[in-house]
Amino acid sequence: MMEDNKIYEELTLIQRRALWVYFVVCFLFVMLILSFWKIQVLDHKKYWALSESNRTREVIIPCRRGLVKDRNGKILAKSIASFSASIIRESCKDFEASCQNIARLLNLEKEVLQERIKKYKSFPLSYPIVVKDNLSFEEVSRIEAQKIELPELILQLEPKRFYPHDHLASHVLGYLQELSPQDIQSRQYPDRQLGDLIGRTGIEKQYDDFLEGIDGRVLEIVDSLGRRKGEITRKEPVQGKWLQLTLDFDIQKKAEDLLEGREGAIVVLEARSGEILALASYPTFDPNKFINRFTPEEWLNLIQSPEFPLENRALRGLYSPGSVFKLTMALAALDSRVINEETSFYCSGSTHIYGHPFGCWFKPGHGAMNLSSGIQNSCNIYFYQLGQRLGIEAIHQYASLLGFGIQTGVDLPGEKSGLVPNAEWKQRVKKEPWYPGETISVSIGQGPLLVTPLQIAVHTALIANRGVSVRPHILKAVQNELPARGNIPANPQTAGISTDIFEKVIKGMWRSVNDGGTGRGARVEGFDICGKTGSTQVVSTAKEKELLEMDQKLKTHSWFTGFGPKDDPQVVVTVLVEYGGTGGATAAPLARQLFNLCLKKND
Amino acid sequence: MIDRRQIQNIDWALVFYLLLNSILGVFIVYSGSHYLPGDYYLKQIIWIIISFLALVVFVSLDYKFLVTYSVYFYSLLIILLGWVLFFGKIVSGTKAWIKFPLFQVQPSELMKVGLILFLAYIFAEFRHPFLPWKKLWLSSISVLVPMILVSIQPDMGTALSYTPILLAAFILAGLNRKMVIIILVCVLLFGLAFWNLGLREYQKDRLTTLVFPGQDPLGAGYHIQQSKIAIGSGGFLGKGYRKGTQSQLRFLPARHTDFVFSVIGEELGFLGVLAALLSYFLLLSRLFLSVKESRDRAGVYLIFMVSVLVASQFFINILMVIGLFPIAGIPLPLLSYGGSSLLTTYLGVSLVLNVKMRRFANV
Repeated sequence: MMEDNKIYEELTLIQRRALWVYFVVCFLFVMLILSFWKIQVLDHKKYWALSESNRTREVIIPCRRGLVKDRNGKILAKSIASFSASIIRESCKDFEASCQNIARLLNLEKEVLQERIKKYKSFPLSYPIVVKDNLSFEEVSRIEAQKIELPELILQLEPKRFYPHDHLASHVLGYLQELSPQDIQSRQYPDRQLGDLIGRTGIEKQYDDFLEGIDGRVLEIVDSLGRRKGEITRKEPVQGKWLQLTLDFDIQKKAEDLLEGREGAIVVLEARSGEILALASYPTFDPNKFINRFTPEEWLNLIQSPEFPLENRALRGLYSPGSVFKLTMALAALDSRVINEETSFYCSGSTHIYGHPFGCWFKPGHGAMNLSSGIQNSCNIYFYQLGQRLGIEAIHQYASLLGFGIQTGVDLPGEKSGLVPNAEWKQRVKKEPWYPGETISVSIGQGPLLVTPLQIAVHTALIANRGVSVRPHILKAVQNELPARGNIPANPQTAGISTDIFEKVIKGMWRSVNDGGTGRGARVEGFDICGKTGSTQVVSTAKEKELLEMDQKLKTHSWFTGFGPKDDPQVVVTVLVEYGGTGGATAAPLARQLFNLCLKKND
Repeated sequence: MIDRRQIQNIDWALVFYLLLNSILGVFIVYSGSHYLPGDYYLKQIIWIIISFLALVVFVSLDYKFLVTYSVYFYSLLIILLGWVLFFGKIVSGTKAWIKFPLFQVQPSELMKVGLILFLAYIFAEFRHPFLPWKKLWLSSISVLVPMILVSIQPDMGTALSYTPILLAAFILAGLNRKMVIIILVCVLLFGLAFWNLGLREYQKDRLTTLVFPGQDPLGAGYHIQQSKIAIGSGGFLGKGYRKGTQSQLRFLPARHTDFVFSVIGEELGFLGVLAALLSYFLLLSRLFLSVKESRDRAGVYLIFMVSVLVASQFFINILMVIGLFPIAGIPLPLLSYGGSSLLTTYLGVSLVLNVKMRRFANV
């Protein structure tokens, strides 16, 4: 505790010591002033010269994006060198005048130029801002010629993405786009900065982390003209990893050629592994046109085209499966023992169910049909009977079990799940009860039922494998190593349906192709192909309006899906051609050409 | 608490000098950081307000009360320093910060105030003309403990900034020749031990660069070189507010903190430097000369230690900026960006105000 018996203590001793220190402080201040005088006034010229010749600048060494190759090593996407023009604001003596001159030189609108520069407001003034990329040689030489007059404009060599085969597999590969300021602010891309290109769709997006390397950085010493005098630190770029896809170049090319001039999709899978050998969607586009940082009109046209060329119909096209769904119906009916393979129904060309007429596509009628002949001839009457006996809930259950209504899990972005309707769905979405007549439509693959071509292909593979499902995937390897756990297919599950049930359905599929059935257009000598056709009629206008309200456009289409050979499945082919007419007429012959190619490749 | 007559005795000039330097700091911080994301100058203004409020609180408490119970404040800070080693947020490679929802605090900065109060307590009843051994060891240990805790973070700069406080206490207490020699020997031994065992590579580099600046012009000496070029190229009038060529100091880790004075030199020239030095001199003079106005021993110690603290940090930072002291991460009080440093300085000055306004015994 403090003593309070003295009112004022005897403090002069310590106060004197304190004041001595104060004098020392004063002395130091004088010394400081003299030091600064020396540095700032006496040596001013020396430091000024040093400051002019001795500035630092950080330069980015761009990394190369990884290559994308097909399963045999053919290059599908690579990087080539291209020139871009950049402005360094720090070197502008008069910013307005510089913009004027540069806009004129590069043939840009001055406002456009300034818009581009404005995005980099918070960057240091020495940072080079790209204002035009993919310069032609002529533009490059014009800029070089003006180098002395315009030191603030520099040329930079950048790697540019190039797709040597134009539109081949463009939907699978995807394209790149510049990161927008909103993207940066959303903090989803912590390692990127403004001006970087990022994959937007397809493989470029799905595996962007592998493909994108890390830019290098150099801290350079430059003089006031921007000439390099030396380096302080250097960090080398880390190049992107190259990817090997499961695609087969020849099969992919054939598939795309077959679709030329049409709208549709083709999927070719390796039956046992789920590796995607071809994934084609038409109409298509040339991703090389998107490589510029700055949105070309062409891209805007593509976005707004009513044919949606940018949409990958194989994953995102929603269609009625039509008669192809009869395979699923057959499996469902056999497994729930509603019928056996000998159960027979009589097709007279039309019938009445619940008081409504339902017709078969073959007006004269097929006569007596059992399971395999029903599949072989794609008899509607036969399957109406199955539908009536199964009921929509059972159909919903089996369809969901066998892979419809959910994503296949393919490693490409944007896959749609399709729809398997039932009473609960209808009540929830349409606020109406399910009518038994709708079950009849669903049993031949019509009604609200929606699938994607990829789902059909995967379903076919499941049948080919006698009940073992596969997960379709497009990435084979990352730089010769198999990808991490997350990418290879999960443990294949079985549908819980016995293999001989599958055998019975497969028998019908074999007859469809090889025994004069609807799929005979796909027949290849010596290759036991098993398949199913599908063709849907045009829907009623009322229905079409309904679906438009749900934001889905129902298309008429020609389907074929099949696999071969029967006893040792190698390959699955699924073809969908919009407005193609009957499955047998259009889709099946296209499939035949693909099966032929696969057969030839195996020899 | 305060009563009216004490308010009359508040040294308003001191408050004015304090605020003057703080506002100067805001302008300079703005220039040094306006191109960085994050509005540092705004944060600085908020911290000035917070520190000022803390100052008002501290001034309302009688300093004798603070000194008497300083041991609790000191212990609390020791605990916080220990806490920060385990739970602290890592910023720029050191575990120095405790994060609260809206702001963060550096206990190592506040420890300076804690030490000042505690040392004042130790020496308060000290009547002998010279320092006895027991007090020497007690005070040394009470400084050594936080120093070690802080250097583990690792923050050598702040740890070393505790020594002027101790030295100030010793000077007042009086050292005889024998003690001076022993202290020098201890420091030497410590220094050698540290050099070989404790110092990391970059810290050793900083010291060698001091003596041989030309040896590694692109490495550790580069910052100092660039700082001098910046200051020197400013000339008599400077390049203009916010017109300092940023490329000079682009890579300097903290234009708005440690190297703030380089910005003043480059942008405001010799005249600006003179003005800043003058403004600071007014503050420091006021602080030192207040020693005469204390009526008890503890008060003298408090005022003197606060003055030495502010002065030593000031000189170290300026010397560092012109290359006469190794880079030590010591901020310039009031002018550098830094909430904790600002708070500490304000609390220190509040102690001086405190002593001065209660100097009349009948109040």
